[in-house]
Amino acid sequence: MTAPPLDAVVVEITNANNYSQLSHSLRTFAPNDVRDTILAGPLANGHDPLTVLDIAQHTVGILYILSARFRTKNNLPALAYLESFCQHFDVPQAIAASEHVVYLARNLQDIAESTDSPKQPLLCLLYLVSRFPPSPSHLTPIHPIFIAGCVATGHFSVAFSILQAPITEIDNSLSDLHYQDNLVYHYAGGIALAALKKWEEAEEFFEICVSSPAQVPAAIQLEAYKKLTLVQLISRGTTTAVPKYTNNSLVRLLKTSPYGSFAKAYPQQIATLKKISESDAGLFGSDGNTGLINQALERAPRRLIQKLTSTYLTLSLTEIGKNVRISDLGEVRALVLKMIEQDEICATISADDTVTFSDPPVQFSKIEIDQVLADAQDQAALFFALNREVGKSKEFLSKATKNKDEWGGPPEEEIYAGGNVGAWMEEA
Amino acid sequence: MDVDEDTSQNLRGATRGIPTPIVLVDDNHPFDIEAYSSSYTGRTAVDRLVYIIGLCPALAVPALQLAVQHIFKTRDVDLYRSATGAYDVIAANAQLPPAAEVAPLDQAWYDEWTSKNLSERTRLEVELKTYTSNMIKESIRMAHRDLGQFFLSVGDYTSALKHFTKIRESCTTSQHVVDMCIAVLELLILQGNYSHISTYVFKADTALDAASNAASAISTSATAGAGPGKKSQERAKWQTRLDFASAISHLGQGNYEKAAKLFLKLGPAKELGDWIGKLISPGDIGIAGTLCALASLSRSAIKSQLLENELFSIYIEYEPHVRELVEAYMASKFNTVLELLERYSTRHVIDVHFGHHVKNLTGLIKSRALVLYFQPFSSIKLERMATAFGWTVQQVEEQVVNLIQAGEIRGRVDSQNKILKAKETDPRSELFVRALRSGKEMQATNRKLLLRMRLQQADLVVKAPKNRGEGILRQAEYFNE
Repeated sequence: MTAPPLDAVVVEITNANNYSQLSHSLRTFAPNDVRDTILAGPLANGHDPLTVLDIAQHTVGILYILSARFRTKNNLPALAYLESFCQHFDVPQAIAASEHVVYLARNLQDIAESTDSPKQPLLCLLYLVSRFPPSPSHLTPIHPIFIAGCVATGHFSVAFSILQAPITEIDNSLSDLHYQDNLVYHYAGGIALAALKKWEEAEEFFEICVSSPAQVPAAIQLEAYKKLTLVQLISRGTTTAVPKYTNNSLVRLLKTSPYGSFAKAYPQQIATLKKISESDAGLFGSDGNTGLINQALERAPRRLIQKLTSTYLTLSLTEIGKNVRISDLGEVRALVLKMIEQDEICATISADDTVTFSDPPVQFSKIEIDQVLADAQDQAALFFALNREVGKSKEFLSKATKNKDEWGGPPEEEIYAGGNVGAWMEEA
Repeated sequence: MDVDEDTSQNLRGATRGIPTPIVLVDDNHPFDIEAYSSSYTGRTAVDRLVYIIGLCPALAVPALQLAVQHIFKTRDVDLYRSATGAYDVIAANAQLPPAAEVAPLDQAWYDEWTSKNLSERTRLEVELKTYTSNMIKESIRMAHRDLGQFFLSVGDYTSALKHFTKIRESCTTSQHVVDMCIAVLELLILQGNYSHISTYVFKADTALDAASNAASAISTSATAGAGPGKKSQERAKWQTRLDFASAISHLGQGNYEKAAKLFLKLGPAKELGDWIGKLISPGDIGIAGTLCALASLSRSAIKSQLLENELFSIYIEYEPHVRELVEAYMASKFNTVLELLERYSTRHVIDVHFGHHVKNLTGLIKSRALVLYFQPFSSIKLERMATAFGWTVQQVEEQVVNLIQAGEIRGRVDSQNKILKAKETDPRSELFVRALRSGKEMQATNRKLLLRMRLQQADLVVKAPKNRGEGILRQAEYFNE
């Protein structure tokens, strides 16, 4: 049997209505080496097959042709075409050929990183990543590729819209996920958010990366932990413990590193901090954390001044200077003024250089409170549904019935179904 | 069983005391060494006097004389050398007469006991060997006990402990175990080995339980009625010793609150039996218990557990200044409290057991006093606090700032006008802030947990690298460029 020419393949593509079957026949119609050459070639009449095929109707076929072209590095499609493809492809068809979508994403990333104007390929990736998953909270292998592309080219703000939606769903039926996808996505996402100075969000991303389930810690998790520590110092002034389920050896590793001692000395011992940042400058530099370290150092006096507000009502600028170890009065004044302007402290400076601290006013609007309550109810509903789902899952039931004899208590079903969540729901 | 500090125990004063500043004895810090040493007998008297030699040169001469008097009553021939050794260290700096002049060695005593000790030791060891080869359990136990007592009396703590712990192997009744534990506890307290005490208290406690169970079983079968009362009395007798041992152990390890509670629930002094004098004086218990209580317990607890505690007030009677101290504290006359603490600091610091903690305890009492003093005010001039405590304004400010930062005082200092103001909080808005914050945190946590659950369900778990680990590392480096 000789391999059918591209014309026949295109006819098959246009006639097909079962996508997985089509996907299968496209994968097997010819031996490996010839297949790509055929798919990447032009039609018999010299036309480009992509012009014949409709993006929305023939997504599977186009994906195969694109993959073949990227692989053979022959007849590469124009970026404009890719952009319109990413905007208009048919999602169910794409899912049937998900590995080719991922491959396309990889190539887009390569393009983005190798050109001077990465904006367009990144946009393509953005379309891809926002259209492919069924909801923004699903993780796909395209996510890490997109974010990594943004980070590598320094286009952090492009990534922001995607990063805003937290990932809560993992669905392996969409595409094959690897644990690395999750780690890389949250690590790169954290970097992007930190670069945008969205500290809280960055913290959450790094924390997810650090605390991801691990039998042995991955190097990227340690890197994330280092960055997490610095981000926490910048945004809160102290570090908070990572969740209990974090791999223990990570915690140990960090504690003994210069990062651990840096966090310990922060923010009081400014001299020690400076010494650490100088003596381990090489390490911080090779970890790519020099910027974060400098930001943390810069903010240390601010943290100290904030602490003073809870101890003192009034304090002279000289004494503040003594506390934060800045001897120049003008510099202290400028710092305090800047902090007042940025709403970091609530204070007034009088003519005789006395700073009077006051409590920041606390205000809540009714709308705000309502919003919070609605969020809480949403969460409760989500957990109620989740609870039921788990309760009826085969895994849970088999475990529950197996242990019933040993348990002796009331059947677990009752405990789970009749919990507080249910009561809450009825009130709501 | 490992005992770390045994060799230099007799030199406690010389080894541990030197870093602490030298203790004053003058009109403002009265201290009567004769009265002090008369409350102790035997080894602890010597230990305590030697400790004093190390701490205050002013008392070194009388302390050495008294110590040597006690030493000649014991059979520990090495003790003389260690006492004079400690004295010589101090004497060299303070230009005191040499030890040989102050307390010459009684050569006859020395020779007599050196030979007697040797023969006794041989005799006891031979006895033990015979019993061991005959496998008579009870006799082996007694031989070990005698050897333990012997080594204790000649100051060889390590060997004493070795024999005391060996008793355990040949114990046949719970009573024997209790005896063994009490002997070991005595030794450990003497040594100041606080961290090991709790083990033996626990062992004794279990043994006592077993003993009383067995006893009650017998008494119910024989004559019901007379048994339980007597048995619980028996237990109480040991219980006081065990409580005391735990109290000393907590104190030694700096758990002042636990120590205070245990000291305050001690039974009457006579239940401590020969430990009074041999290990401690009732006055010491009064001081240690009171200091710990003042430093760690709340006012109401002090009132109910200390002032209204008849048993403990007997201990306090031995040291009248302690009662004054407590009363001044309860009457909020903090100036007097601090004065008393200072005046009797000598008496407190020279104690072998709580001497090291007096500084901490005094600091804690000071902070508590400050907190208590400020409680009823919404604002107060630091000057007024300074007069109430007899400090300078600067000192007060420093202390107050430390307390605020530690979260002990809810207030803020007006450093320009030197006023301390209580923090005005609006509970309603504070509640709102807290509720909102915890709600937010909870949602974030839930979200993360949910993701984690999904990851585990999909088995996206980081596994040991086959050769992929390097890949991840490289990935990380790649981002950092």
